[in-house]
Amino acid sequence: MAEGARARPRSDLHAEHQVLNMGPSHPATHGTVKFLIELDGETIVDLEPQVGYLHRGFEKECESGSWYQAIPYTDRLNYNSAILCNTGYVMAVEKLLGIETPERCQWLRVLASELSRLGDHLTRCGAACLELQAMTPFLYGIEARELCWDLQEMLCGARVTSNYVRIGGVKHDLPEAFPAAYEEISAKIRTLLRDFERVVTRNRIFVDRLRDTGVISREDCLRYAVTGPVLRAVGVPLDLRKDEPYLVYDQVDFDVPVGEVGDNYDRYLVCVAEMHQSLRIADQCMARLGRLGPAPVDVDDPAVRWPAKGRVFTRMEEMIQQFKSVTDGPQVPAGEGYFAIESANGELGFYLVSDGGARPVKVRCRPPSFVHMAPLPLMVRGAMLADLIPTFDFLNMIGGECDR
Amino acid sequence: MSEAPITQSAWPGAGPTEVTARVVPVRRKAGIGWLERRYLPMIVRGLVTTGAHFFRNLIGFATGRRRAFVVQYPEERVQYPDAFRGMPVLVEDAHGRPRCVACGLCEFACPSHCIDIVAGERDDDPVQRAPTAFDIDMSRCMFCGLCEEACPEEAIVMSEAVEIASFGRSDMRFDMERLLVPEATLARRLSFLRADYDRADASPRATGGPR
Amino acid sequence: MTAGQGPGERTTASAERPGDHGVPVLGQLLVAHPRAVLETHARLGDATAVVALDQLLPVMRWLRDDPAAAFDMLMDATAVDWLPREPRFEVVYHLYSLARGHRLRVRAAVPEHPGQVPSLCDLWASANWMEREIFDLYGLDFEGHPDLRRILLYDDFEGHPLRKDYAKTRRQPLVGPRN
Repeated sequence: MAEGARARPRSDLHAEHQVLNMGPSHPATHGTVKFLIELDGETIVDLEPQVGYLHRGFEKECESGSWYQAIPYTDRLNYNSAILCNTGYVMAVEKLLGIETPERCQWLRVLASELSRLGDHLTRCGAACLELQAMTPFLYGIEARELCWDLQEMLCGARVTSNYVRIGGVKHDLPEAFPAAYEEISAKIRTLLRDFERVVTRNRIFVDRLRDTGVISREDCLRYAVTGPVLRAVGVPLDLRKDEPYLVYDQVDFDVPVGEVGDNYDRYLVCVAEMHQSLRIADQCMARLGRLGPAPVDVDDPAVRWPAKGRVFTRMEEMIQQFKSVTDGPQVPAGEGYFAIESANGELGFYLVSDGGARPVKVRCRPPSFVHMAPLPLMVRGAMLADLIPTFDFLNMIGGECDR
Repeated sequence: MSEAPITQSAWPGAGPTEVTARVVPVRRKAGIGWLERRYLPMIVRGLVTTGAHFFRNLIGFATGRRRAFVVQYPEERVQYPDAFRGMPVLVEDAHGRPRCVACGLCEFACPSHCIDIVAGERDDDPVQRAPTAFDIDMSRCMFCGLCEEACPEEAIVMSEAVEIASFGRSDMRFDMERLLVPEATLARRLSFLRADYDRADASPRATGGPR
Repeated sequence: MTAGQGPGERTTASAERPGDHGVPVLGQLLVAHPRAVLETHARLGDATAVVALDQLLPVMRWLRDDPAAAFDMLMDATAVDWLPREPRFEVVYHLYSLARGHRLRVRAAVPEHPGQVPSLCDLWASANWMEREIFDLYGLDFEGHPDLRRILLYDDFEGHPLRKDYAKTRRQPLVGPRN
């Protein structure tokens, strides 16, 4: 920890440094993480994040089940935006399988992903307000997130652990009532977002707490492989949805918001702007899904996607296929593949290795939260202890994803 | 790299896609002027927003059309959407028997291995298989719904029940008696599932036999 | 199992000879380090180079510093356990170049004994935590790492859980309070 972005503070008084344990059960460390902080008065001299309290052996568990059985576990990586994790894993498997999903499925995945991203950013900004003692905007943000999760529940069947995306498709198509509900709820979310911004964005207390705190330079971002809104707040427009478009993001019209300085205020503004962009993308998805009309949402390959149930009940071939598919799952050709999507926190990559069998040899998740925790000492060294809270909030470390 | 077209293949076989990233800097300094730096006018402005919410909620409460986003659980309950996945239960047919034939597919599909089935024969009809014991450890079940998707008999479905908390771990082990639910009470879920079967049937998928 | 998958399969007939596979950076890497690169492929659109373990550090340094490669971000570092094959482990690095917008995967086979890998902490700061994670879960030793400790698991954990010979159901001894 020798490198320091800023010079260490020099104290006039001759005093010993104090070591403070913050966490693992601290209200501002959502999830469980512990900070070992060396303090000089109220100034952070050094900090060591200790992660791992939520380690559940995700990768080991995936290696012991079939390719299918890992999908519900990916829900539990980033539990604020489960569908993004679903999509990342499933698309990595599809890359190995070499299949491409039907157009309607891709639009559904984009719609679900953007709703998920919206919910994640709302949590991040709302929780940050709460931890800066602003209770009202937190409630607006959480109300908007609840509405967003209502939509997800309608679409996927669960609010948080959606388990929606399947290898070669999605679980089911849009419910009939969804378009009307989307119209109503997206208008409500926009109103709440407007009120949220009115209360905090130009609020001097909020701005003073965020501005010039938790600054990280562009070079440090690259050295630490920081991605996502934290990198974009520095001014680097790296967004995999634009730079390596997957699904149908190349047919969607949206902007990449970037910041200037790379402090918490920039991160906040980037997240708010991304929420508006997510709503914009979701609007386009709804319009396109309406235009596409009824179409298959799964690949036409019963060896990959479990056969249609209507046929399983009535035909022998599909019944046998169902037994084969469930007990073995798809047989993924031997090989290795890395697929990365732009999750709410940054690049969420999955590196999969298959030996041609029904079980993965290796499922590696590249978690943005874990990677973003490493440069945290750089951002807060020399700052006040109270600045740690907004910095940590806007990094949006999610325990499930960080510790896996 | 912001304005230049970025050509890179993200999908194997998709070929390079040309995307011009449109980068919009956030307006960092916008709106934080003289007025915003004085506390008092901004407090008033904030109060207008929060007050609007307060009075709308209050009027809604007084007129009986509540706007507040709070459900007074357990007196009030939300209506779950059709797709909702609650606790998995076993479907009981008109004769009071489980529809399950103890094939064990849900046991295979379950990622958390929380289903235990002991297969046997039915007393009245020895040709038919039926579970003699069917246990789900609800403390391990994660309501993912893969058992429902795997079941070839429409025998295990996700109900709307979510209130399964108990004081002991042994109470979380649900046996067949507690799991069996008459078909009539699951009509909503079953019709949701069947609508999906029909749609899948209409799609060009499901042609050709197993490979 | 197709060839070119595991470590140490260079001699099999179907292993892929080093070539650029249409990826410019692989061609340049082969010119700059002809002896270090054992195998290349670009299957599924992922450019991959398998390098000799003792040449890993110079190759990575070249990949970071050469303007044609300019890999300024180490996105991911992980390991794969190929039990019972020899050499048993493999370290896998995913590089991304923000300047050039391309990606590269670099693999190197690591024998179980002594299981030492040169640390990349001096090249990319992100390697620090990732290598600690590999050390934690696979038990590989990173030479030159400034602070090689367990990161996800606790200090008294016995064994390395992502090794294939670590049974999923294995239990750990209870650890009492430290003082």
